[in-house]
Amino acid sequence: MNKSSFVWAAILLIGTTGGAQAHHSAAQFDFQNTVNVTGVVKVAQFANPHGKFVLSVTDEKRGTRDIEFEAHSRNNMYRQGLRPEMMKVGDTITIRIAPMRNGEDGGYVTAVLTADGTAIGNITSAD
Amino acid sequence: MRLVSIPQTLLLTAGLALSGLSPAIAQTAQPDFTGVWTNYRAAGGAGGFGGPRAQPQLTQEAQAKSDRYRQVTAGTNYTPGGYCVGGGMPSSMLGSGGYPMEIIQRPEQITIVYEAHSEIRRIYFGERVPDPESVFPERNGRSVGRWEGDTLIVETDRLVEQVDTQYPHSDQAKIVERYRMTTESDGRKVLTASLTMTDPTFLKEPFTVEKKWQAVPNGRVMTYECTEPEWLELLDRLISGTAEDAASE
Repeated sequence: MNKSSFVWAAILLIGTTGGAQAHHSAAQFDFQNTVNVTGVVKVAQFANPHGKFVLSVTDEKRGTRDIEFEAHSRNNMYRQGLRPEMMKVGDTITIRIAPMRNGEDGGYVTAVLTADGTAIGNITSAD
Repeated sequence: MRLVSIPQTLLLTAGLALSGLSPAIAQTAQPDFTGVWTNYRAAGGAGGFGGPRAQPQLTQEAQAKSDRYRQVTAGTNYTPGGYCVGGGMPSSMLGSGGYPMEIIQRPEQITIVYEAHSEIRRIYFGERVPDPESVFPERNGRSVGRWEGDTLIVETDRLVEQVDTQYPHSDQAKIVERYRMTTESDGRKVLTASLTMTDPTFLKEPFTVEKKWQAVPNGRVMTYECTEPEWLELLDRLISGTAEDAASE
């Protein structure tokens, strides 16, 4: 895990202890088994306390559907180098996520590989 | 970075001239904490807390209230932060650094801006100190500062009862912080605070914890708007004429 993804995950987890940054529990996300998801950007919302990405994702198991992912705060994503203009609607991007423990679609974004190949966090390829 | 305000310098210099002591000693008496600070990271990676983070020892009544809060909120988004409410003391101070804090220091008032939830504390000195009865109790309370040499002492009261925190307390809680700035061998400025909270109804014994930050040279905190998406969604509906229920929101 490189510095960027470490910071994203760590601050969320700090929040689960009930301190000043306590946004919500991270228990529903499996940070030990992160996976990559590739899709087309439908929504990229940079907001506090958490951002929201919606990607149109296609896979053999469930076909094509829009999936909403939770992202870190606008402020922390910005500090890690992610900019709104790097995630335009229609771009095909890959995100690394901590998936939902219950197997449902969704998850918590720990890294982003933008359409032009810029990596933010611990992600080196779409695979 | 200034060390003391001009009036303080003049007073100290005049006084020391009479006493025969060196002004250089006096000018280090009150350090300037002005600037942006983030969690301290030691070379080996240790974080802002020196060791395992202490937990307050709660009375039976307080433990029951805290347990109930945790029971009804576990695994949910029902937290102060989720509703854009700040942590309040001591969470605002102990939680800062993951998101940075900015200290603005003047002789009569130190203002601390915690980026997370845009929480602000104002620490008053001398004639700026408000009477307790004139301060509406709130989550960050009333903070009064004084200097003991190079150490800033901050005493906080007029808090409200909080169970929605890692550090539950009643409205009778009082908090004393002691801040001191040092310089690491690599040149980093480090701010260390020891915090002690006493509470006659919620705590079995005083709760003490230490926290460290490191300076962020030329750092800036960011605005932390939290309800902007909801407002923009409503604004879109208002402008498009689809907000039939806007008047009731």
